[in-house]
Amino acid sequence: MITASAAFIIVLELGSVVVGGWFLSSYLLSVYSTRKTRLDRIFGPIERSIYYLGGVNPYEEMGWKAYLRAILALNVVEAAIGFVILLIQGSLPLNPMHAPDMSWSLSLNTALSFSSNTDLQHYNGGTALSYLSQMAVIQFLQFTSAATGLCVAIAIFRGLTGKTKGLGNFYVDYTRTIVRVLVPLSGVAALILIFLGVPQSLSGYSVFKTLELGGSEVVKSGPIASLVSIMQLGTNGGGYFGANAANPLTNPSQITNLFELALMMLIPTSLPFLFGRMLGRMKEGRTLIVASYALYIIDIFIAFIPITQIGEGMEVRFGAASSVFWTVTTTAFTTGSVNASLSAFNPLIILAALFGMIIQATPGGIGVGAMYMLMYIIMTVFIVGLMAGRTPEYLGTKINAGDVKLAIVAFLSHPVIILVPTVITFAIGAQAAVGLGTNSISFTQILYEYTSAAANNGSDFLGSAGNTVYFNVSTGIVMWLGRFIPIAVMLAIAGSMVQRKRYASEALRTDTLTFTAVLVVAIFILAVLTFFPFLAIGPILSYLEGFKNGF
Amino acid sequence: MKKSNSLTVPLRIAVISLVVCGLLFPGVVTGIAQLAMPVQANGSLISFHNTTIGSSLIAQDFNYSGFFQPRNDSASGLDPDITVQNATVQAARIHNVTGIPMAYLEGIIKENTKYTLFFFGSTYVNVLDLNLILAQHFPLIYNRYIV
Repeated sequence: MITASAAFIIVLELGSVVVGGWFLSSYLLSVYSTRKTRLDRIFGPIERSIYYLGGVNPYEEMGWKAYLRAILALNVVEAAIGFVILLIQGSLPLNPMHAPDMSWSLSLNTALSFSSNTDLQHYNGGTALSYLSQMAVIQFLQFTSAATGLCVAIAIFRGLTGKTKGLGNFYVDYTRTIVRVLVPLSGVAALILIFLGVPQSLSGYSVFKTLELGGSEVVKSGPIASLVSIMQLGTNGGGYFGANAANPLTNPSQITNLFELALMMLIPTSLPFLFGRMLGRMKEGRTLIVASYALYIIDIFIAFIPITQIGEGMEVRFGAASSVFWTVTTTAFTTGSVNASLSAFNPLIILAALFGMIIQATPGGIGVGAMYMLMYIIMTVFIVGLMAGRTPEYLGTKINAGDVKLAIVAFLSHPVIILVPTVITFAIGAQAAVGLGTNSISFTQILYEYTSAAANNGSDFLGSAGNTVYFNVSTGIVMWLGRFIPIAVMLAIAGSMVQRKRYASEALRTDTLTFTAVLVVAIFILAVLTFFPFLAIGPILSYLEGFKNGF
Repeated sequence: MKKSNSLTVPLRIAVISLVVCGLLFPGVVTGIAQLAMPVQANGSLISFHNTTIGSSLIAQDFNYSGFFQPRNDSASGLDPDITVQNATVQAARIHNVTGIPMAYLEGIIKENTKYTLFFFGSTYVNVLDLNLILAQHFPLIYNRYIV
């Protein structure tokens, strides 16, 4: 049940984000074109020094293979740096609380997790990480993975719009994303968060005698606001503390709660508009934004079917409605930060969360959400083309059999890397090591773990209990496959389309609301039916068994 | 056209990113925060009789049954707030233990009530706010229980 006041807040939030995203898309257009702007005077020298120090030739145009090679090379090096820092953090500076070195499997998991924009956390950041790791591993990879995601979307947009020779230059796109988009926006967001009460310091944890005689408490202050800003803006989701955005130091009030939600929604919402602008046909962008928001709103409705009351696992200052709203949004935008414990929720809310991570385009994570929506469009155009007996076309180019095969590889990789490890886990009894049995509740938790890993979401039930070699390594592999298989495949499609001939007349119009409706239904059927048997013995069974929560 | 060297470029760009995003960014934000907003930046600490007694954002334990007590089952385990309903139930206990009039306790709950959705939604109060008021106004009762 959704109350009128909660509905009002949700509508207000969605409305502001869509307006904000529309304005941002205009700025993003200038960032990713060679057009000169007034901001070049500020950002130009910084970018040129990065190209100089990095040895980048900014005029080199990359095809899809070169673009992908650059993405992979940079991400491997960045993940490796993170891995090494975590492994030896105990003997590195900026460690006033003396956090010990991380084990190899947990370091590996954490490095793969943050470099893939997942932010699954099998550790508790308040005790397990040094200040240096919070900054030079966690915040560093949150910036770079968000930048990578945004670059992927831009390269694919260029491929589909077909106005350039190649897909651009990855290092230029990446540098401009960091310098012109992520650092300025995160900087402003961090200062707003600090103003609203989120700490930002480097002077260690403070211990105080509390009001009552004999009591004491630790205030775990640290570089929190700078982390929270990029964690939300970059749809990363990995919190400073284990309790993530439920912890009052990362999310002190309802105002910060709504602000952080808006941050995670902003860039994914702006990308469909940017696509329309790059094409010069806003209506094609409208198809993407309407379809993704329609799926998101369906998700919200499912989550609000059960009556949720404030209780165990939720924070009083947010109330029940915005805890549910957050849980849907953080999975719909594959961010994965949480403001309540997932175990507090009705199985139907968990089902709604799983929908977001299964579809990945509702609107999905930074950059990749738009990428998945384009994948669904290619598949839908093909299906509709078959039904109408016409050659499938999108944006005036023919969609050939090769494109559709590739899109299906990207689509099917998702269920494969979720369902296979879920089944293996139960086959070898690995769930027992984290205290789970074989009932529907336990099954949901393991299914959720791999779905969250594959969708690069990062919310989970296991938390630091998942710190076993088996879960660290298996989810680590799933996170990187879930990240880079679809990216590689979609770049290949974009690369083959960039130089393809464009026709003036289009057989099937993709800028109409009719097509958008067909697209939504197609996505629902494709994605949800693939997973239906697994959902049926997980959250749906729990719901039918009458569980209210208690995961 | 000269190509970017595919071996050293990723390493060099990664190190630059590490310095910019992982060190400079949080460092500069910390500097600005400490200069411009030191109260918030250091965890919204609050004082009682000129001594820092904790943060208004984090729940602290209260054992004496004459105090309002926080909940310990919440998601973060640090939830500084309780629902008004919970506070009202506790007010009856505090009245029994301390003899502070029920009307007074209900009054301070009402004055400190906040709403989850600004003017709507469920209502709650900050536990430490209430206990500070009690300690301030009833020193004869509370002085031997506090620092």
